[in-house]
Amino acid sequence: MQTVRITVNGELFEETIPERMLLVDFLRDRLALTGTHVGCTHEGVCGACTIHLDGEAVKSCMMLAVQADGHAVTTVEGLSSNGDLSVLQRSFREHHGLQCGFCTPGILMNMTDFLQRNPEPTDEQIREGLIGNLCRCTGYVHIVKAVREAARTLASGNG
Amino acid sequence: MFPAHIEEYVRPATVAEALAANARYEAGEAMFIAGGQSLMQAIKSRMARPRCLIDLQAIPTLKGIAFDDGLRIGAMTRYVEIAGDERLDGAFAALRDAAGHVGDRQVRNRGTIGGSCCWNYVASCTPAVVLGLGGVMELTDASGARRAVPAGEFLIGPLETARRDDEMLEAVRFDRPAARTGSAYRKWGLVKDALPVVGICVKVELDAGGTCTAASIALSGLSAGAQLADAGAAQLVGSRGEPDALARAFGAIAESVDVQSDKWATDEYRKQLIRTLGAEVASTAFARAAS
Repeated sequence: MQTVRITVNGELFEETIPERMLLVDFLRDRLALTGTHVGCTHEGVCGACTIHLDGEAVKSCMMLAVQADGHAVTTVEGLSSNGDLSVLQRSFREHHGLQCGFCTPGILMNMTDFLQRNPEPTDEQIREGLIGNLCRCTGYVHIVKAVREAARTLASGNG
Repeated sequence: MFPAHIEEYVRPATVAEALAANARYEAGEAMFIAGGQSLMQAIKSRMARPRCLIDLQAIPTLKGIAFDDGLRIGAMTRYVEIAGDERLDGAFAALRDAAGHVGDRQVRNRGTIGGSCCWNYVASCTPAVVLGLGGVMELTDASGARRAVPAGEFLIGPLETARRDDEMLEAVRFDRPAARTGSAYRKWGLVKDALPVVGICVKVELDAGGTCTAASIALSGLSAGAQLADAGAAQLVGSRGEPDALARAFGAIAESVDVQSDKWATDEYRKQLIRTLGAEVASTAFARAAS
């Protein structure tokens, strides 16, 4: 067992955990932040568990919680502030960027990081950015549209 | 929890501390973890059951891309950093070609050049590019002794390298390239940015008139792992990258290398990929060398 100090959505958590605990399990089972989803469970291919580690999108099933000791994690619960959805979250709602919603938290986390580094993306760049996230419902069309429109809103300063 | 019991997790601040931690365990019982994008799969499937994990994330000397006499890339340098470094052009452009299309952007935010070379997965891009560009692996052992191992000797075969259990890879080095050197890498996978069914790295050096004076070609995706195709490379020398010359070179490679059939592609399909992809990649390498 090891004691870790991990800042999650701005709040510092100190927990004693087994070394083998995955970061995704730490978030879901210890902190009850169940917005981070477990999709493929194993291979790290579905992207539903994507979170931000020090601001960068990574898959939380592909690292141990002890590796996040001393770092800052943001989960989908941390995207909104005081109940106000982020521009990207609003755009997903407005443009029907989700159906069942299972993949949505991971896509929101990945695309939030993506838009910070690519503020004026083409549709092709958005699609390439989404390679690490599987969606079985939408066919991605509305997801791409939601990301594109969020980029426009952010660029116009109306976010 | 998917991983088996792990007794100890350590996060050393120096290479010496990391090697000392490793020395406390029997060979193979402690494992270094870099970005973990391959190792965590193995740990979760219990193919790997380390007693101790030595996390290299906090060792600053293992990170970064430095141009000195040649090029030195720290083992913990991530794909995202390699893909985004515009200084890696011309002779080193193949590194960016490969790093920009490994896995997906989440993987590229964590995966490292050193981790990939030490894991040496059968279908991976980085080992083949390091091999094709003539990289040299800088290894250090627990006594502090260093040795430099050419990639061709380091990459023994899938999941096997010349790194001893008491050694750590610190960096990958490349000599200063000759003027008018260009490189390129491309892969073909079942979906975009998937693991390479076939990947090809080409490096060419040209004289002032645009004639190739030296060439190397490395392949990935074949069952023997990353490998050089010297016979094909020799056929590029003396050419100016004309379509006929490229077709001859990659036709010779397709007919001479050991090509497997598996669930991803038949041997005939792989041979065709070598011909088609090879000519495209070589053409890019020639153009980069000339510019």
